[in-house]
Amino acid sequence: MEWLEIFDISLFRSLIRSATPIALIGFGAAMCSASGVLNIGLEGKMLNAAFVGIAASYYSGSALTGFIWGVSAGVLTAILFGVLSFNLGADEVLVGLAINIFSIAGTRYLLETLFKRRGFFSDPSIQGIDPINFEFLVDTRFEKILSGYTPSIYLVFFLAIVLYLVYYKTRLGTAIRATGENPEAAEDAGINTLRMKWLTVIFSGVLAGIGGTFLSLENMTLFTEGMSAGKGYIGLVASSFGNNTPIGTFGASLFFGLGDAIGIRLQGVYELDSRLILMVPYALTVVVLILIGIRQRIRVRPVPIPEQ
Amino acid sequence: MTQNNIETAVEVKNITKSYPGVTANDSVDFKVLKGEIHALVGENGAGKSTLVKILYGIEQPDSGEIFINDKPVEINKVDKAIELGIGMVHQEFHLVPSFTAAENIGLGQEPRNSRGFIDWDELNSEVSNIAKKYGLDVDPKLRMIDASVGIQQRTEILKTLYRNANILILDEPTAVLTPQETDELFEVIRSLVDEGKTVIFITHKLREVMEISDRVTVMRDGKVQGVSNTKDTSPEELAKLMVGREVFMQVEKEEAKPTEKVLEVKNLWVHDSRGLLAVKNLSLDVHKGEIVGIAGVDGNGQTELVEALSGLRPTSKGEVIFDGKNIESISPRKRRRAGLAHVPEDRANTGLNLKLDIWENLVGTSYFRSPLSKGGIISMKNVVDHSNNLREKFDIRTPGVFVRTGSLSGGNQQKVVIARELSEDPLLTIASQPTRGVDIGNIEAIHKQLVEIRDSGKAVLLVSAELDEVMSVADRVAVIYEGEIVEWVNPKDVDQQQMGLYMAGIKD
Amino acid sequence: MEKFSFKDVLILFAGTIITIGIAWVLLTVTGFVPREIGKLFFEGAVVGQRNILNTLNIATPYILTSIATVVSFRVGMFNIGINGSMYIGGLYAAWAGYKFTSLGHIPHVSLCIAIAVITGSLWMLLPALLKVYAGVSEIISTIILNFVAVLFVSYMANGPFRADPIAPATPRILETAELKQYFPNSQFNSGFFIAVIIAFLTYFILKKTTFGYELRSGGDGLVGFYPSRYSSYLGIPSDRSAITGMLISGGLGGLAGGIEILGNARYFYQELLFNQGFDGILIAIVGKLEPIGGLIASLFWSALRNGGLFVDYKTEVSREIVVILLSILIFFVSAQKLVSSLERFKFVRKLDAFFTRKIK
Repeated sequence: MEWLEIFDISLFRSLIRSATPIALIGFGAAMCSASGVLNIGLEGKMLNAAFVGIAASYYSGSALTGFIWGVSAGVLTAILFGVLSFNLGADEVLVGLAINIFSIAGTRYLLETLFKRRGFFSDPSIQGIDPINFEFLVDTRFEKILSGYTPSIYLVFFLAIVLYLVYYKTRLGTAIRATGENPEAAEDAGINTLRMKWLTVIFSGVLAGIGGTFLSLENMTLFTEGMSAGKGYIGLVASSFGNNTPIGTFGASLFFGLGDAIGIRLQGVYELDSRLILMVPYALTVVVLILIGIRQRIRVRPVPIPEQ
Repeated sequence: MTQNNIETAVEVKNITKSYPGVTANDSVDFKVLKGEIHALVGENGAGKSTLVKILYGIEQPDSGEIFINDKPVEINKVDKAIELGIGMVHQEFHLVPSFTAAENIGLGQEPRNSRGFIDWDELNSEVSNIAKKYGLDVDPKLRMIDASVGIQQRTEILKTLYRNANILILDEPTAVLTPQETDELFEVIRSLVDEGKTVIFITHKLREVMEISDRVTVMRDGKVQGVSNTKDTSPEELAKLMVGREVFMQVEKEEAKPTEKVLEVKNLWVHDSRGLLAVKNLSLDVHKGEIVGIAGVDGNGQTELVEALSGLRPTSKGEVIFDGKNIESISPRKRRRAGLAHVPEDRANTGLNLKLDIWENLVGTSYFRSPLSKGGIISMKNVVDHSNNLREKFDIRTPGVFVRTGSLSGGNQQKVVIARELSEDPLLTIASQPTRGVDIGNIEAIHKQLVEIRDSGKAVLLVSAELDEVMSVADRVAVIYEGEIVEWVNPKDVDQQQMGLYMAGIKD
Repeated sequence: MEKFSFKDVLILFAGTIITIGIAWVLLTVTGFVPREIGKLFFEGAVVGQRNILNTLNIATPYILTSIATVVSFRVGMFNIGINGSMYIGGLYAAWAGYKFTSLGHIPHVSLCIAIAVITGSLWMLLPALLKVYAGVSEIISTIILNFVAVLFVSYMANGPFRADPIAPATPRILETAELKQYFPNSQFNSGFFIAVIIAFLTYFILKKTTFGYELRSGGDGLVGFYPSRYSSYLGIPSDRSAITGMLISGGLGGLAGGIEILGNARYFYQELLFNQGFDGILIAIVGKLEPIGGLIASLFWSALRNGGLFVDYKTEVSREIVVILLSILIFFVSAQKLVSSLERFKFVRKLDAFFTRKIK
């Protein structure tokens, strides 16, 4: 049972770091799906934000400027998604795919054109976003668990609670859910369903923006080609796992993060291949989807035929 | 302000609404008094739905005025109607399946506590209170996905009450209910009126009109035919107003010469998609050389009957004997091979795949047979010849058979369906609402074709909600009401008023 | 998706003009002379034996993945897991390529290809069954399978199939399993012919056989039609059509991966990166979901890509500019309302009608 040793504080911290971008994307995807928008363009939004964030930080020398520009890039990409699918009648899934392909190429192009680099870009003049250390926790036993994370990580926990409240306890939350499940019922209740969809798409753009800058300015201070590495899709998968609920999505993200963290830790150390562990969350997602699918089937109870 | 200041709840003056090709409401005047149950009756397409859609802000009239509580208003969107205290229960429920009854009822208007969060306990108890007040038995915490149709409907009614509706429009509310649930609904409606609400009750069932309403307005062809106090009128009189015409137009045809029996349905029971009984112990037979019509207002089990006969829906009990053989458990394709053709009522999704080319829809029942295909390979030359022959014979107006079917007009799409079905030279053609959405010129052609089939010694089962159509084309007519045949009639002998009564479920 | 019409030509044309304009601006701003870059670009795409061969070689997987898309979309299934099938097919083609040592050239290549097709196809069985029997969105399940495929092949190349002690890779495939490369200056190989044959074969099967008719009866458009009332009305089991369509689609994805291994890479290694499965979806849309359209669009796409590579090699301009421009073009083509708004113009309607008559 020596492999149990890997479950320590540093695994926990690594889990939290891995789960953060997934949860950020997952929350956005969950809100979009709840309002009936299948948003697979989050990968591209995240990547654009990661690049623009680092470029802005490099030119301005300010982490905050980098962050703001990065998030704006995420939002702009979300607006592109919305205009194409809501206003111009393009298929959501296609637009999402096209945006992802566009963003991979676009960031690579800018990387080569602006910075004359291939593969990755890092420079001492890039200001990253620093971790937050809580003074009052120093030398307590919570320091190692709770202190010293970058802002987005705390934001994720905060968002999980806020979104839970919004989702279940506000008019906005019920309006979003009604829009996705039965738009006619929502319109009947005076809810502008198109506005709800725009709202969730823009919100997902903001979160994808934060997720992108988390990758390039917080977790590390560099940009690598395609550094979102499928997290946009994994976030979508996590939201499906969590049945598009905030807490479910958060739990699923932690689960994916755990897989990631164990995977990193096991690399080349133990016989169990890390890739097999990384597959577990996906396999479980499939199981969850099957359960949801079966549950949502309408149960018809035929009325008995009267005896003559 | 004294109580009797306001006497009319709704008044509509001179409303006209046209759609391309049809005037749905033609100078309609309609008045509902405060605190009454007002029945709005008419056949399919009489203009009832359009009128209430205008009242509820879903449609805008071309001209005319609306007064609510004696004040002139403009209802340009649903919000406005809700604000004016108008509530509507649609025939198709607008409920969020995963939400509880209370969540559906409060949607968009949930009570909030001081922190801005929805107060679910408050909502649940408000809903319970309203439900109790009007005698609506609904558990606020029941999810709609687990609720019966009756509970779903009560939830819809509660939705309107929760938004303080004083004027409730119920669109064919009994269509989805069992008799017991209907009785319960009537109790609810009476208690609503006792509490000072006004109810507009849309229906085609005259028995219900007589039972529940105070006054009744009859519509036909987009016009109001008459208004009266229910107690001063009779089902006979209402039926006459509803159907209107003195004699049915006759399609030119000779006396039918029926020969041997081709279809025999014995004590058939069929469930609908919601698990309710749509066809109840129904028996009928069709002979070669005759056209049998099934008359009745939409939603009385015709759809399920036709689907069960053609193999799209399982039968629950009973026998279907076609050409001497039991067919109730064989596939649609085998039924076709045995000589049973089907022109379905849902042209766009069932009868055709609008994304396919015309030729592809034309060969849907025959593509797998020589000469259209050999060894699994389609012979384009034969297919095109075949399609062009059908196109000419059935006068399908199109630039060519390589055109998307979806780009054709409704009438031409229907001709594609009919051409395909008749190209097999079937023993029996089941035609369900064959002229719905078809322009007048083409209606005539379709009727002629049905008579031609009959004259060639084959059989036709014509199912239509258009009374005129059934009565003028068919040789024998069965009137269907709530899944049962009320009466068999000879279209030449039956009296208009009598027909209206049968369709409303009243037999002598 | 609407049928190919004059409107599409117009949109493609307008889109191309606009994207060329964007390219012009981008190049000028970044300090290049667009005319010269354009010339180089054209040369790289289609001038000279070597460039032409490379263009065709790049096109091979695109042709197959775009046709895989066409098949799945036209039976009413939104398969975006073709990339996963490519990985699986590629891996097992490599495995078969070194494992079977005593076969002749033709039997060995055929066996490898068959294994690539079968494994790629089986990879799509799960999402197809999930969709049909549990109502699970095939979009989500195929996204998941894309990840699992990457993890799985990387595990296999690292573990069970690993040969090289230094790098995680399978052994090189045997010479008998290689798809023939005909020219010394290009990796162009016989896989291209397979792809072209597949394109015509798919066209033939979809359009001219009863089997193809039954597949399409429940779909034939962009948005999932399944489960189709029309199919059941005709007595065609739409469940079976949907599953079969997904299996064919996965099989073609597997074939694309197999040909990449047997014709180009010759062994499977962990870092092998496929993304043609995603691009293929966009290409299929440009080709209006027609197999021959997909073939033409793939050739067009690879010519541009190859031109981009050439420009990248010769100058400082990034090759990615091509993909950027192509995705902008996709934005135009997929904007249905933009396309149909062209009907406002009378000459478009007239030319549309003319066009329809011309192509029968």
